[in-house]
Amino acid sequence: MWLVFKKEIKELLRDRKTLFFMIALPLLIFPLIFGIVGFVSKQAIDKAETQVLNYALVGGQYAPEIVKELQQPEKFKRVEIAENADYSEIIRNETVDFVLEIPANYSSDVLANGQANIKLYFNDAGLNLVYTRVNEIVASQSEVFQQSAFATLGLNEAKQSALIEPIVLEKVNTADDRENWGEKIGGMLPYLLFIICLTGAMAPATDIGAGEKERGTLETLLISPIDRNKIVMGKFLTIAFAGTMTALITVASMVIWGLVLSQGMAIKFVADFMAQIAMLDFLLIFLMLVPVVAIFAAVLLSISIYAKSFKEAQSYMGPMTILVIVPIMLALLPGVELKGAWAWVPITNVSLAMKELVKGTMDYYQLFAIFGSTVIIAGALFAFCVYWFNQEKVLFR
Amino acid sequence: MIEIKQLAKKFAVENPKKLSEQEKKDPRLKGRYFHSVQDVSFTCQKGEVLGLLGPNGAGKTTTLRMLSTALKPDGGSVEIDGDNVLTNPVIARKKIGFLSGSTGLYGRLTGRENIHYFGQLHGMSEDAIVSRVAELADLLDMHGFLDRRSENFSTGMKQKTAIARAVVHSPELVILDEPTTGLDIMATQTVLDFIRELKEQGTPVIFSTHHLDEVQELCDKVTVIDQGRTMFDGDIASFKALAAGSLHQSFMTAIQTSTGE
Repeated sequence: MWLVFKKEIKELLRDRKTLFFMIALPLLIFPLIFGIVGFVSKQAIDKAETQVLNYALVGGQYAPEIVKELQQPEKFKRVEIAENADYSEIIRNETVDFVLEIPANYSSDVLANGQANIKLYFNDAGLNLVYTRVNEIVASQSEVFQQSAFATLGLNEAKQSALIEPIVLEKVNTADDRENWGEKIGGMLPYLLFIICLTGAMAPATDIGAGEKERGTLETLLISPIDRNKIVMGKFLTIAFAGTMTALITVASMVIWGLVLSQGMAIKFVADFMAQIAMLDFLLIFLMLVPVVAIFAAVLLSISIYAKSFKEAQSYMGPMTILVIVPIMLALLPGVELKGAWAWVPITNVSLAMKELVKGTMDYYQLFAIFGSTVIIAGALFAFCVYWFNQEKVLFR
Repeated sequence: MIEIKQLAKKFAVENPKKLSEQEKKDPRLKGRYFHSVQDVSFTCQKGEVLGLLGPNGAGKTTTLRMLSTALKPDGGSVEIDGDNVLTNPVIARKKIGFLSGSTGLYGRLTGRENIHYFGQLHGMSEDAIVSRVAELADLLDMHGFLDRRSENFSTGMKQKTAIARAVVHSPELVILDEPTTGLDIMATQTVLDFIRELKEQGTPVIFSTHHLDEVQELCDKVTVIDQGRTMFDGDIASFKALAAGSLHQSFMTAIQTSTGE
């Protein structure tokens, strides 16, 4: 058994193409994705911040303070427009970036004239900071008016804040940080781990089953004096090992690059979050992966040995990714919890358990159900694999 | 000594509609089963080379696969030196070296590793494997390429490696399924020389072929199968005596005894 395993691993390690997908891709792809997204979005925000905005002003005579504030040549540039111009038209053809329409009742004496409704016309689809930048100016004016109105009325500070917001509904979250973020991160974790495991195991699985058939080495292997189930076991272990390693490498790369690239505060947050999860929980998350990988490996091996060629194997394996996503999605549905029957649904229960472990709200007794059902299914699939390997109609199709 | 008696093998037909016209006419198709091999018997003594002849689809490969334990027969018996291959496949596998024309190698392993791996699978000790590989490399003149990855081998190199792999455990019987099909003249010669070598050492060889000149050159015995039945089983002299002229005539005569009836 170890003989077969050792040889398969040796062959696997010499296959640059497979290795690339298993190791290099997850190692490089995350920094690349993080890097590109970070770089591009920073560029876009910088540009939106520093860009000189062309604007048109209607009713500027009512608000000299705002007109004055807008006179910053490095930030805003005034454009004169016709009186009856169609605002959306001139914004669309980029004559101006925004049009500010100030109503006639605009006045510093809010008590007398009531609320002023300034209209900001701009194209809000896509990333832009037009509203933020104009609001900065308007809000400061608004506050000045508010203060002068309060002063006229002679209100003290307590009355002022009560008037601004008479009733406050305060949110007190009883979930601690870990539970809060665990729900979000823990829900995504199985997605990532399972899919990566599956794709990582796929390449060697195709090679080990259908590949042997295609190259004509299978027959020679079958008539060597080694038990069939040892051959199956060796191949099965190789696939499972490859899947697990891919998942581990990916997660490690994600964590490392995440730490490297997210500087300052984020590091502290991540570190704090990680520190709250006990070593035991990490270990359990990993252990939980084992029977799932076993299920994947058994299914992949059965498919692979049935297929006549690489191509056939690959087209059979394609839909598996979609099939795996379904039980993981079930785990994200509201109301689906690690209780009763759900604890026995394979893959879904492991997804749920991973979430609970990250959140720190794990009911450890449910582990029996999880391991029980997963091991039973993995065992049954493995037995099927052995049976499959003894079928002439499968081996000599 | 190898004794094969009334070997039979049928395959379930998954979808009878898919069969070609010719296959439907084949008398071996009975209901949902295709009786690929119906009654094949022959024997091979120590030091003999047996040539297995027959038209395409006669059941040669199926017969040899049953001999090599890759397939389980539905009837009949195979005995090697008194050991029943069917009840004791693992023991039988240790005694048999099998090579087919379509055999491949593990491309990402070197020639040496390919041979070594099968030595290990046969339960040989490390020292035994190393010395055996050296011996075979001398015999087959493989030193020049033994440590290169086999995916870049030429057909001849591949065939030499495959031969070495098939006999790494010094089998008591060597079975070759169309070993020369698709090979160039040089590689064919390697295979034929190797069979001759085995014959000198007293190892019996059973091989199937379509080349009657190979039969003439090497074989002591000839077995002809057609439509899953043994049509002729005897030594080369009596095979030649079947018809005047060439071996081709003898072959045609052997087959016609069946179709004529």
